[in-house]
Amino acid sequence: MSALSRDQIRTMMGDVLEAQGKAIPTNDATQLSEIGFRSLDFSELALRVEDELGSELNFDAPGLRAIETVGDVLEFLEQLQQA
Amino acid sequence: MTRQPDAVGATLLRGSGNQIVASGFRGTWANISAVALPEVAAALVESHLAAAGAAWEHALSPHETLIVGAGRVSDDQAQELRDDGFALVRGQRIEPASHQREAVAGRLWLLTSGSTGRPKRVAHTLASLTTVAADQPPRRWLCPYSPGAYAWWQVVTLSLAHPGQDVVFVDAAQLDSWPELALAEGVTAASGTPTFWRQALWRSAETVARLPLEQITLGGEPVDQTILDRLSTLFPSARVSWIYASSEAGASIAVHDGLAGFPVSWLDRDMPGRPVLTVVDGELLINSAWSASGFEGSLRTGDRAEIIDGRVHITGRVASDEINVGGSKASASAVRAVLLAHPAVVWAQVRGRRAPIVGHVVTADVVLDGPLSQSELTRWCAERLPDYSVPRRLRLLGEIPIKETLKSDV
Repeated sequence: MSALSRDQIRTMMGDVLEAQGKAIPTNDATQLSEIGFRSLDFSELALRVEDELGSELNFDAPGLRAIETVGDVLEFLEQLQQA
Repeated sequence: MTRQPDAVGATLLRGSGNQIVASGFRGTWANISAVALPEVAAALVESHLAAAGAAWEHALSPHETLIVGAGRVSDDQAQELRDDGFALVRGQRIEPASHQREAVAGRLWLLTSGSTGRPKRVAHTLASLTTVAADQPPRRWLCPYSPGAYAWWQVVTLSLAHPGQDVVFVDAAQLDSWPELALAEGVTAASGTPTFWRQALWRSAETVARLPLEQITLGGEPVDQTILDRLSTLFPSARVSWIYASSEAGASIAVHDGLAGFPVSWLDRDMPGRPVLTVVDGELLINSAWSASGFEGSLRTGDRAEIIDGRVHITGRVASDEINVGGSKASASAVRAVLLAHPAVVWAQVRGRRAPIVGHVVTADVVLDGPLSQSELTRWCAERLPDYSVPRRLRLLGEIPIKETLKSDV
């Protein structure tokens, strides 16, 4: 399957939050700490992306960097698909 | 010519007049027309009738015998058996052993799946497999287990040793419709794994409810309170029992009070004729008179034992229960218990899945009986489990997966 768009990943991130009774903010600059989006949530989102793609993401490729905002998450997963 | 068992055999064959129903045959054990087995024989059977015939033949001429469903033995394994001195018996056809050797008189081999999935042989005798000593009320048993499995032998030896214990065998092709068969045959007692019972209640609850069951037995997998309660509710006058047994340790625990787990007072007690049960580092150890040859003494079962409210619950395998989620330890059995406690969940399997950042996350496959969204089930878990134990991926299955062993490896 072709790479997921930023909007598709955003929808998936919304699903992760919705399962916890939260909503994804409209502003991508929102800090993850504000919405309680933690490493476990990030892992879940990555698995959702992998399941949709039908292949594993290569986390070694771009190297982990500071991910602090909603936009950082979306951008990182977008880049990861191209790695 | 009708052959007669010897004196020792006779005590194990008091039920030879019991009726068995198998693969179109209806008659007594003594009526089975069996193929004469070589002194060291592996009977690779295609049906319960063939298996019952081989069992009866062994009972009369206790040489050295292995009985197993033909589908469980690959060509390589069949050759290994021949190389180990077994003649292969397939119906009327006998393939001689690669070399002749002396039989170990009375030896009965069981082929277990083993934790690695590669079958291994476990040595018993008809006497060590005959674990029910007391006289039993007359019953007509359903036996859905695969031929030659330990649980299969438990039903067979019960019927061979005790008058009034008829058996209705369920061939593999009949497994999906066993409730109808049991109803037509007037079955009053049935033994199966929790997965077997869950599938039957999910698929055919109305037919199952019409069965005149007096005895319901569960074993082979962790037995949880939910399935015991469902069966007790459906059959209020039946005795609902769960058994802990394995090919290696033998039948070791029998609980008849309708509760999951066994009383903690049973631990470390030394009573004649009873196995000694111990829990060491969360693992169940058993020292039983019914154990297989070579497994005498205190046997590490590999099964996880957890003491909750004065009961010892056997919840799964030690090796696969712990899921390391970012350094926190989630228990697959604890998660499964929470899932199964939801009224709409009829079956659940919990595993760890490799995941970025945290190493592993908890995932679950579930089968539902009623409307329930994934979000609702996630919230149910989140209210009852620590954050790291909540399943992060839930997969809804349309069928309860069940293997030939009647297990689903939960």
